[in-house]
Amino acid sequence: MWFIKLIGKLKFTGFVCFFIFVIFFFGPLLNLLLLAFSGEWQYPDRLPSEWSLTWWTFVLQNDAIISSIWLSFLIATIVTLISLLICIPAAYAFARIQFPLRRFFLFSFLLTNAFPKMGLYVSIAVLFYQLNLMNTFVGIVLIHLINTLMYMTWIPSAAFENVHRSQEESARDVGASPLKVFWHITLPMAKPGIIVASVFTFLSSLNEAEGTFLVGIPDYRTMPVIMYSIIADYPSTAGSVFSVILTLPTILLLVAARKFVGAESFANGFKLK
Amino acid sequence: MSRLLKGKVLGIGLVMPSFLTLLVLVAYPVMMSVRTSLQNRAGEWSWDNYRYIFTEPLISQNIRHTMFVTIISCFFVLIIAYGIALYLRFSTRFFSKLINKLYLIPMFIPGVIAVYGFINFYRNNGWVARLIGTDNMLPIIYHVRGLIMINVWFNIPFTTMLLLSALQGIPNSIIEGARDVGATKWQLFIRFILPLSYKTMLVAITFLFMGIIGSFTAPFLIDRNAPQMLGVSMQQHFSVFNEIGQSSSLAVFMFLLSSAVGCFYIWSNMKHSKKELS
Repeated sequence: MWFIKLIGKLKFTGFVCFFIFVIFFFGPLLNLLLLAFSGEWQYPDRLPSEWSLTWWTFVLQNDAIISSIWLSFLIATIVTLISLLICIPAAYAFARIQFPLRRFFLFSFLLTNAFPKMGLYVSIAVLFYQLNLMNTFVGIVLIHLINTLMYMTWIPSAAFENVHRSQEESARDVGASPLKVFWHITLPMAKPGIIVASVFTFLSSLNEAEGTFLVGIPDYRTMPVIMYSIIADYPSTAGSVFSVILTLPTILLLVAARKFVGAESFANGFKLK
Repeated sequence: MSRLLKGKVLGIGLVMPSFLTLLVLVAYPVMMSVRTSLQNRAGEWSWDNYRYIFTEPLISQNIRHTMFVTIISCFFVLIIAYGIALYLRFSTRFFSKLINKLYLIPMFIPGVIAVYGFINFYRNNGWVARLIGTDNMLPIIYHVRGLIMINVWFNIPFTTMLLLSALQGIPNSIIEGARDVGATKWQLFIRFILPLSYKTMLVAITFLFMGIIGSFTAPFLIDRNAPQMLGVSMQQHFSVFNEIGQSSSLAVFMFLLSSAVGCFYIWSNMKHSKKELS
């Protein structure tokens, strides 16, 4: 008898914990979703008294907002490609080649996280003024690269490391050139790690607000930057509509990459050797 | 011999593109910041800015506040994330599978939006207040409580992910073996699970600490006006008071704190890899 009670209790605690988990993590998001579709939601009401799509038409007809969406996606794509191009060689070198000061180079990427971001952006802004990069596309891409360097190097590096050397060696034995081995054996096998890092890079660029705000104003207003002004100037319904639009690509990309985005390939990147 | 040399050159050559980017975009601005922090308004070398941040009572209050928020947030994140990771690792129930699918999402929600949702949810006429009644509502927004809650919200996914992967790395055979010789759940945890995952906890603490201590958006929008987090205080010294030297010295101070934690991380990683080699 007591055993059944205990199981019941365990199930009950599990349920309560799950309930708290969902409320805490998704309550605020659900609230935004409701707000986005509400027409009228006066104070003491627990749910909106009227549903409407008014703010959706407003947001979707606003040219500045639409162009900010395109701009954000364009920047995120370019940042991801550039960051792949400059970081993958380094990731491979860290995983496979022994060279002097390897550890120093590897750990130096921690610097991007150690210095407070706001301080870094301010300092970069000073540098960009001297180089005439303020309010330019290049300037924004560069500032977005800062946040991606570490992930793009560490995570793929761990992925390369987990490819068995014996497979590369056997390909070499049958006469494949080193470049061919890399392209046909190593790279495909490290793909999950590289995809995770790319998704992460893409999303972090899509969501970057502080640096873009500092460097890109007034001509380059990405989605998160527009979000700042919407929070300040419009009622919370408009902000919510825009929040939903801004969050949608994130959720879609996560669902699409679900197969790859597991704890494993991500976390491996932080076990440095 | 020449092959070895070729390998070394190739290695450094491959690292160079990203390292040079790092040098120009991060290391150089950091050095500029350090230089600015050591100059007074006339451009002469001096310790004035540091004297200011360590003697001004408002700043020391801010430093205490920042340390308090950072340490408390790290503590809560670590405890909760560890709990979730343990649950996900050792339970195969329906809820566990569902949480496993959901817990990563907050990590990818844009910061501004999360804060915005938080404010609408918890402010004193927000949804929670409407559901449970305004009188039962503790002040959360514009209170340090809210800041700690949003830090927990932002950081749990990443930390859980790191810890979960460490726990998944513990072979089932170890756990079953210990159970067979009669270890209780508690002993199992203290003797096996904790020692086998504490290294990852250090990694998690490093990134938590660095992320929270320098944060800007959340404290700017959610915390009270005084005392401030150092990230907000730094921004204010720069753009409101136009004191570039002082804001740089604040940045450098935060950087030194983060570096101390970062060195700890590097040290523990190095120790780890030495063990593996022997």
